[in-house]
Amino acid sequence: MDGKDEGSSQPAAAHVTVDLSIASAAEEDLTGKVHQLPCCIKHDGPTPVSHYFKPKPTEMEVDGLKVEEAYFRGRKLQGTTVSLPHGYSGFILGKKGRDQGTNDPNSHCWETTATFQDITVWNHDAIPSKDDALLRAFHWFTAANALHQTVTAEDLESACID
Amino acid sequence: MGSERPPPLPKWASKPCIMGIDEAGRGPVLGPMVYGCLYCARSYQKTLSTLNFADSKTLKEEKREELFESLKADESIGWAVDVIDPRELSDKMLKKNKINLNEISHESAIGLIKKVLNLGVLLTEVYLDTVGDTEKYRVKLSERFSNIKFVVAKKADSLYPVVSGASIAAKVTRDRALRDWILDETAEDLHRNFGSGYPGDPQTKAWLEDHKHSIFGFPSLVRFSWGTCTSYSKDFVDVLWESDAAEEDDNGKTSKRQKKLTSVGFTTAKKKSEDIESSGKGRCKFFQARKLELLSQF
Repeated sequence: MDGKDEGSSQPAAAHVTVDLSIASAAEEDLTGKVHQLPCCIKHDGPTPVSHYFKPKPTEMEVDGLKVEEAYFRGRKLQGTTVSLPHGYSGFILGKKGRDQGTNDPNSHCWETTATFQDITVWNHDAIPSKDDALLRAFHWFTAANALHQTVTAEDLESACID
Repeated sequence: MGSERPPPLPKWASKPCIMGIDEAGRGPVLGPMVYGCLYCARSYQKTLSTLNFADSKTLKEEKREELFESLKADESIGWAVDVIDPRELSDKMLKKNKINLNEISHESAIGLIKKVLNLGVLLTEVYLDTVGDTEKYRVKLSERFSNIKFVVAKKADSLYPVVSGASIAAKVTRDRALRDWILDETAEDLHRNFGSGYPGDPQTKAWLEDHKHSIFGFPSLVRFSWGTCTSYSKDFVDVLWESDAAEEDDNGKTSKRQKKLTSVGFTTAKKKSEDIESSGKGRCKFFQARKLELLSQF
């Protein structure tokens, strides 16, 4: 997420800003509490997750990933907790001004409400593996680094095929 | 949980033995389902019929407990139970490839037979109550265990004392397991007045009513795959599963059970899968394979 207005097709789309500064007092560390479930829960808001969702470690290990299990709505989920790579953070965003009650539904200004350093990714009916889409998404970090590295004259030279 | 530590194999076990298998807690909407077996030497059969085992359902709880204690103390009898966790029942019945309750029951009975054979008991005849089609069940068992004669019969629990005994072991174990159940959930307002667990039991109904939760459904003691839970779905927020979406893609329509369970409010399969996850559609392969979508508006 780079927060740029991508010149969308919607003419009404206002300027979008994302404030990733973590100086805000409301900011909370949610490391160990961020879960990605293999389902869509049609609800947006707080719920007593830790009282009902009880991940347990298992003996299993796949691709070096420690497998955990939990149940949700009668389904057995198998998951694994992965750390975000060094230098990266996860951000939970909220619309700016929601605390002051000046919440403008048309506002496209976001700010950080919480951060996290790991995420637990859950599968239904499949054990976690490094081939899971979310874990593979981490490849982007390496690719992005390579793409954005400054190319020196020497690099160009060595890449040249005469 | 399960049976107690197996004693050294008694002498009678190397003579031809009979075994009865029966279940308890198949119907209830909550708690484990228990399969129990009881076995003894064929020559002990006559004595067994004098022990007043009757179908566990016709006995009072105290009497059942008493009979269970006496059969445990009887050195001419062996027994074992398989306690199937409600979480396992829900999960198997809600998997992408659903396993129905009859299959789960068959597998449990087969597991008990294997277990007793592995102890070294010479099983020659096994008596069971029918689950699903009687003859198909008998053939399935006979194919697995060609040296055993299987008798699959309706009401086996009242016809054969060895099955009655098994039903007592199963029923007492099920009742105790429910009574001593430790809820996984830690919300403050949970209580343990489960009732019998049968959907018609007013106490069970009250418990379900008290423990429904709009997001989580019920505590994991409840068998989510039971029809009883369906009537509560209006109190729950919709949850869409990838496995349901896949199923819809396969069949063109959601199977009846899934539809009832989630009361899905969305019409097209496309909408559903997009609701569940990002797709990376329209981007280059690298992003598609990683389901990385470019968000330009949010």
